[in-house]
Amino acid sequence: MTAPAQQTTSYLDPSVLARIGNLELLARTVVEGFINGLHRSPLLGASTDFAEHRAYMPGDDIRRIDWRLFARSDRHYVKEYEADTNTNFNVILDISPSMRYGANPEEGRPSKLTYACYLAACLTYFSSLQRDRVALATIDHDIVDYVPPSAKHLQLILHTLDRVDRKGRDAKATPGRSTLLAPLRKLSETMRRRSLVVLISDFYEDPDQVIDALGHVRGRGNDMIVFHLLDPRELNFSFSDASNFIDMETGDKMPVIPEYLRQQYRELVRQHTDTLAKRMGESRADYAVFDTSKPLDRALFAFLGARQRFSRVR
Amino acid sequence: MNFLAPAFLAGLAAIAVPVIIHLIHRERRVVVEFPSLMFLRRIPYRSVRRQKIRHLLLLLLRCIALALLVAAFARPFFERRRAGLSTTGAREVVVLLDRSSSMGYADRWSKAKDAARKVVNGLSSGDRATLVLFASDASVASEPMATPDRITAAINAAKLSAEGTRYGGALKLASQIVAASNLPRREVVLISDFQKIGWANHNEIVFPQGTTVTPVDLGGGASSDVAVSQVTTDRDSTGERDRVTVAARLINTGGATKQVAASLAIGGRDVQTQRVTLPASGVLQVAFTSIAVPSGATKGVVHITPDSLAQDDALNFTIAPDEAVPVLIVEPSSPRENQSLFLSRALAIGDRPSFRIDVKRVDAVTPRDLDGRALIVLDEVAPPTGPVGARLRALVDGGGGVIVVPGGNRTETWPVEWRSLLPIVGQIVDRTEDAGGTLSSLDYAHPIFEIFNAPRSGDFSTARFYRYRALSLQPGMTIIARFDDGSPALVERLVGRGKLLTWASTVDSYWTNLPLQPVFLPFVHQLGKHAGRYADPRPSFTAGDVLDLSRHGELTAPFLSGRAVDSTTELVLEAPSGARERVTATGANHMITLREQGFYELRGRDTPVGSGRPIAVNVDPTESDLSHLDPQDVVVAVTTVNKQNPLGSETIAATPQDQEQRQKVWWYLLLSALLLMGAETMLSNRLSKAMSS
Repeated sequence: MTAPAQQTTSYLDPSVLARIGNLELLARTVVEGFINGLHRSPLLGASTDFAEHRAYMPGDDIRRIDWRLFARSDRHYVKEYEADTNTNFNVILDISPSMRYGANPEEGRPSKLTYACYLAACLTYFSSLQRDRVALATIDHDIVDYVPPSAKHLQLILHTLDRVDRKGRDAKATPGRSTLLAPLRKLSETMRRRSLVVLISDFYEDPDQVIDALGHVRGRGNDMIVFHLLDPRELNFSFSDASNFIDMETGDKMPVIPEYLRQQYRELVRQHTDTLAKRMGESRADYAVFDTSKPLDRALFAFLGARQRFSRVR
Repeated sequence: MNFLAPAFLAGLAAIAVPVIIHLIHRERRVVVEFPSLMFLRRIPYRSVRRQKIRHLLLLLLRCIALALLVAAFARPFFERRRAGLSTTGAREVVVLLDRSSSMGYADRWSKAKDAARKVVNGLSSGDRATLVLFASDASVASEPMATPDRITAAINAAKLSAEGTRYGGALKLASQIVAASNLPRREVVLISDFQKIGWANHNEIVFPQGTTVTPVDLGGGASSDVAVSQVTTDRDSTGERDRVTVAARLINTGGATKQVAASLAIGGRDVQTQRVTLPASGVLQVAFTSIAVPSGATKGVVHITPDSLAQDDALNFTIAPDEAVPVLIVEPSSPRENQSLFLSRALAIGDRPSFRIDVKRVDAVTPRDLDGRALIVLDEVAPPTGPVGARLRALVDGGGGVIVVPGGNRTETWPVEWRSLLPIVGQIVDRTEDAGGTLSSLDYAHPIFEIFNAPRSGDFSTARFYRYRALSLQPGMTIIARFDDGSPALVERLVGRGKLLTWASTVDSYWTNLPLQPVFLPFVHQLGKHAGRYADPRPSFTAGDVLDLSRHGELTAPFLSGRAVDSTTELVLEAPSGARERVTATGANHMITLREQGFYELRGRDTPVGSGRPIAVNVDPTESDLSHLDPQDVVVAVTTVNKQNPLGSETIAATPQDQEQRQKVWWYLLLSALLLMGAETMLSNRLSKAMSS
């Protein structure tokens, strides 16, 4: 990382972003700062209209024949260029009660849901700059809010995210464990065009069920980027006192002496994330685990890298 | 198991405290909202359970430690009921036979012997018995391992003593005998009249566990006795013949009025008799008319009509003129006029004691002049050398006194051996210009000045000392009086058994006006009595007293006249029973215990029998007090377990306090609790480390 990128990174710290009330301002701040920071990034060097060569077929426009290649190989090849069309960018945001975990006003750390809103806003703003059609779906047991894809829906999405974030902070836990299957199935039916789907969740679900749910989206030819958000305490289980742990989704209680369970808990989380990564790799979904105490630029790197990859293979 | 302080057991409720805290802790446990318990529920339950069991073990340890702590405070003890007492097997029997004077009352002594014989006759084969005779002290009268016949013979041979009753020594001796015994049964038989006056609670005396103490009480019941408890004599030497007025004090301890005849015998012959009536439990003074007595020591007896206790019906005494203290004042060869006048005249006055004074000039003194002297005054003369000096030194070593008055003498020329014994005599201090010095600091605790301690008992402040010698002390010296400038006025040093006193001024009016003051006479008398080792003569002694001949020059003086008082001069002391003993006025053999009632006779080796100095000995007057003591008091005192050494008794069981104090179970409980707490700490630390890793 270069020095300006480091400055940007520190600027993108979630605790700093949490002080920005306006999501658009936040998204602009993040994305523009991010792009400025990436001007020297080698990732952008590959950004060209040329895609691939294809053998000449009768009917092809002869202007597209690559004559230089013909001179070297004595064969006719046609140059294929990137389609200059926009795409649908769908953000599916899990707003189940478990996502409300992690808010720590003393440390200025946002909850997973807030972090997810930042992330969704930034990614949407970024895509909007690319003239993509942006869409948002918030899900719980079912689809909660849905903003259909449109190049003009940036403000609506940001407003929806802001509402979700504020609502999530004040909401009481509703009993029952949320699942991805039902909402994702419904959403997949609404996606008529191939879309780039970003799923942001904490995935407290069996990996098989998660892959099953993703299959409905992925099966329609959509490209998927999966962000797995976890609070540092969910990763490290850094609790000290014996406490009654309450499941934020089901309301179940369990007395826990953290020091007894910490080691095994960490192992189970690691197994869970490893399984998810493996299974999603198999289903060609891009998967990344994010610590909500870490800056947002990591997510943007992941998104941009994935987007570039998808654009190549398209 | 019993508890001395069972109220502390309420503290066991404190065991619930850790549990309650645990429960409260659970109730107050912090509620933490967590996204999902999905992973926590997957953690195997057995793992959590195992941790809980460990926790319960710690809880158990803490509870046990707390319970032990509470139990320690409750002071537990195990009640023991005379365990270890044997009822079969051979016996170790100790017979304590009281032979004090009071056992002569009526037929107590014969009954006591019968009781002792009965005990001995009751011995079985294998039993072992010891006969201990006691009065004021105790001694084993039978040989070790003696047969019953020999013990019976010892009982038959036992005689009454004139001494008083003391149970302590006898019980101590008995406890030592039974403690040393390896026989399974131990028995102490105490045969006595249990006279109350002889008992003091001897807490230090303990009998080993299982010892049976059997009292044989021969006292008790109504007893009546009339005794001659005291005799006073008043000797009048003013006439041609000495006359003595004798008064006797009679005591009636009985509950009835008694008529008795009180007789005074002088020289073995009754000279007066008075019939008197004694009130019940009363005292009567009987005064005899004065009688002429010989100039020497004479035996006197006041006796009354014999009654049940004959031993105290007569009281012996001696009528003896006060022995004069022989003093030799040594003057310079050319003395001042009346140099020794004040001293000799002052000493010559008075008869208790009287001083026999000789004044000699130093060049005329021979060794023989020092023989028999109790006090030598070196009045401004140097200590003699040669044979006279050696004799003087022997006199001091033997207990004689020397008063050294340096005056204006040149002390530099004094013999070195004397200078080392005396303070360093310095220059003459002339106080004429300031109207003379005074005596400012007197040691009123010293025998010389103790009579002046009371108010208006002598004023030394009026005496002026115009000149005196500055004295510097050497090791071993004591300052008895100081002048007002702090300089020593009178210095004492003990040499051998005698005394060396140094007076810084003069004994005449040459340097001081002290001889002209009223205190001079008592002062020089005190000085002479102290330096000459004078002791008031005793008309009688009590059986059991120790006679120290070195302190009673009036007894030995008649037989040492003309000879040096040293440890080699042997005298003979003949007891009333006729037993003779060689004694010396000083040295190793000068202390004799007077055990027999009657008149001892002290005489020189060449003195005819009957011409010696009589020494009257009487029974212990306390023996006339026949107050009775409950035998059980003695038994309880020596068999109770409230002692350092635990023991058992047939009659008294140990109190809970005693048992608890002896067993000290609390101490072990406390130690166990501490060990458990230590183990708990180690275990919990180890578990914490294991859990946190």
